[in-house]
Amino acid sequence: MGVVISLAWREYTRFIRQPHRVIGSIGQPLLFWLFLGSGFTGSFRPPGMEGVTYLEFFYPGVLMMMLLFASIFSSITIIEDRDQGFLQGVLVAPVPRMAIVLGKVAGGTAIAMLQSLLFLLIAPFVGISLAPASLAMVIPILILTSVGFTSLGFLLAWGMRSTAGFHAVMMIFLMPLWMLSGALFPITHVPGWMHWIMLANPVSHALTLLRLPFHAMPGQVVGDPEFAVSLAVVLAWALGCLYLSMLRVRRVERGVPVSSSN
Amino acid sequence: MIDIRNLSHTYPGTRKQPPRAALRNLDLSVREGHFCILSGPNGSGKSTLFRILCGMARPSGGSVEIAGHDLSRDPMAVRRLLGVVFQSPAVDKHLGVGENLAIHARLYGLRGTEAALRREEALEWSDLRNRLGDRVDTLSGGLARQLELAKCLMTRPRVLLLDEPTTGLDPSSRRNFLDVLRRVQRERSMTVLMTTHIFSEAEDADFVAILKDGVLLAEGTPQRLREQLGREVVVISPRDPAALADRLSAELGLTPLRHGDELRLDEVEPAETLALLERILTRYRPEIHSISIKQPALEDVFIHITGGNGIKANGANGGNGS
Ligand SMILES: Nc1ncnc2c1ncn2[C@@H]1O[C@H](COP(=O)(O)OP(=O)(O)OP(=O)(O)O)[C@@H](O)[C@H]1O
Ligand SMILES: [Mg+2]
Repeated sequence: MGVVISLAWREYTRFIRQPHRVIGSIGQPLLFWLFLGSGFTGSFRPPGMEGVTYLEFFYPGVLMMMLLFASIFSSITIIEDRDQGFLQGVLVAPVPRMAIVLGKVAGGTAIAMLQSLLFLLIAPFVGISLAPASLAMVIPILILTSVGFTSLGFLLAWGMRSTAGFHAVMMIFLMPLWMLSGALFPITHVPGWMHWIMLANPVSHALTLLRLPFHAMPGQVVGDPEFAVSLAVVLAWALGCLYLSMLRVRRVERGVPVSSSN
Repeated sequence: MIDIRNLSHTYPGTRKQPPRAALRNLDLSVREGHFCILSGPNGSGKSTLFRILCGMARPSGGSVEIAGHDLSRDPMAVRRLLGVVFQSPAVDKHLGVGENLAIHARLYGLRGTEAALRREEALEWSDLRNRLGDRVDTLSGGLARQLELAKCLMTRPRVLLLDEPTTGLDPSSRRNFLDVLRRVQRERSMTVLMTTHIFSEAEDADFVAILKDGVLLAEGTPQRLREQLGREVVVISPRDPAALADRLSAELGLTPLRHGDELRLDEVEPAETLALLERILTRYRPEIHSISIKQPALEDVFIHITGGNGIKANGANGGNGS
C-alpha cells in the first residue's frame, strides 16, 4: 500500500510542478467546451431533449475528455519511465506487480480528479447547476471511469518503446472511444451500425453514468435500470483492464528454447 | 551465494534478424562475501546475464540460485536480497535527491526513522549530503552516479549487482566510488558482482571471470589469472638503450623492445626468467642502472585470452604458452 501511494505521489508531484501543464489541462477543455458548445447551441434541437442546450449537453462530455487526456498523459509517462530507466529500478524492487499498476493508475486518477474538480468548481459560473447530492454522486463515477481509462492506457502503453507509436494508438483507438461515446452527439440519432459500436463502447456507458446525475436526483438515478447496466459495464471495464495490466507487467521477456544445433 | 548452472540465453529473432545466442551453457559461482568482477569484450553477454540475474529476462535454459532461492520459482525472495546498479541511470531526473531516496526506501519497505537513519548512513561518504533538495537533473554526472550507489546501499542488499557503474566518472570520483564500495562490501560482507572494462578496478577483486561470446573463457583470482598467462616481463634500464639493444640481439639472440629509456623483454617463460636475468647481469652489469621482473597486468591477461590485438588465444586453461 505504501508503495502504491509513493508511486502515485511521484506521478502527481511531477504533474503539479509543471504549472503550464495544469493550466493547459483545464484551459484546453474549457475552451473546447465554450467554442463548440456556443457554436452548436443554435442548431442543437434533438427530439426529446427540448429543455437542454448544447452547452449543458456537452458539459459531461468534456469532463470525459479530461479523463481521457489525463489517462493518455499518464500512459505516456510509462514509456518515458522505461526510456529514462526509472522503470527498471521499480521492476527489480521487491514489490507486488499489482502495486506497480495501481501506483500508476492511482497517480493518473489523482491528476484527472484534480482537473475534474477544478472544472466542476467553475460549473456554477458558466450556468451549469449541480445539486450537492448529485455532485457527491458524480465524483465516484469520475473516479471509476478514470481508473478504467488509465488502466486501459497502461495496458496499451506497457509494451511500447516509443511515444510516437503511442500517439498513433491514441489517435486511432483512444480518441474514437471518446468520440463514439455520445459525448458530442446523442446516441439515439445515429446510423444503425454506429449505434451498435456505441453500445459496445464502455466509454458510452461511463458517459451514461455521468450524465444521469446532471438531469435527475440521485434517488431516481439509482432506480434507473440503465444505471445498473452501465455501472456493471464500467466496473467490468476498469477491473478487467487492471487485471490484464497486472498480467502484462508480470510477463517478462523470454529467451527462445535452446536448440541442439550450437 | 550466486550459483549459475548451465545457463543459456538466445534472443528471439525477427524476420530480418536470426535468433542470437548471447549466453551458452554458462557455469559460474560467486561465493558469499566475495567481490567478483565480470569482464569481456563488447557484446559478450554481460548485460544479458545481469538482466537474467535481476529477473528482467527469463533464460532459454539452465538455472540460477541466489542465496538458495531458485530465481525462476521464487523471484520475489531474490528481489528482497538484491541491489542493482544499472549501466543506465535509474533515478527520476525530475525529482529531488531526497525524494528519489524516499521513493526508493518505500519500494523496499523502509519508513519513518529507520528510513532516515539508513539515508544518513548511505549518504555519509558521498558529496550529496547538503544537496538533498536539488533536482537530479541539476547534478553533475558523477554526483548522479553517487546517488545511484547511495540508493542501493540504503537497502543493505546482501547481493549487489553493478553493471559498469563507473562509466562517465572522472578518475578521482571513480576512486572514491570504488573505495566506498569496497569498504562497505567488506564491512557488511556483501556479495558483489560487477562488470567493468577498466582493469585497475579488478586488480584487488576476490574473483575475476572473463566472458566472450557467451562462454566463460577464464575464471579465478587475479593472481591466478596472471600466472595462467604464463609469461613475465623483464624490464632493463640501461645507460645507453640503443647500444645495449643492439648487443642483446646480436650476442644473445633476444628481441628487446624499446619504451623510452627502457628495454622490455616480453613473453618470457617464468621458468626461464631467473636464468635470463643472470645471463644479462653477468655480461652487461656495468651497462645497467636497474633490472626488474614484472608480472603481466590483468589487462594483458584480458587481451591475451580474448584474442585481441592479433595475439592468438589459447583457451580457458592458458596452460601452454605459445
Ligand atoms: N534485445 C536484444 N535482442 C537481440 N539481441 C540482443 C538484445 N540485447 C542484446 N543482444 C545481443 O546479445 C549479445 C550480448 O549482448 P550484451 O548486451 O549482453 O553484451 P555486453 O557483454 O553487455 O556488451 P557491452 O560490453 O557492450 O555492454 C550481443 O550480440 C547483442 O547484440
Ligand atoms: Mg553491457
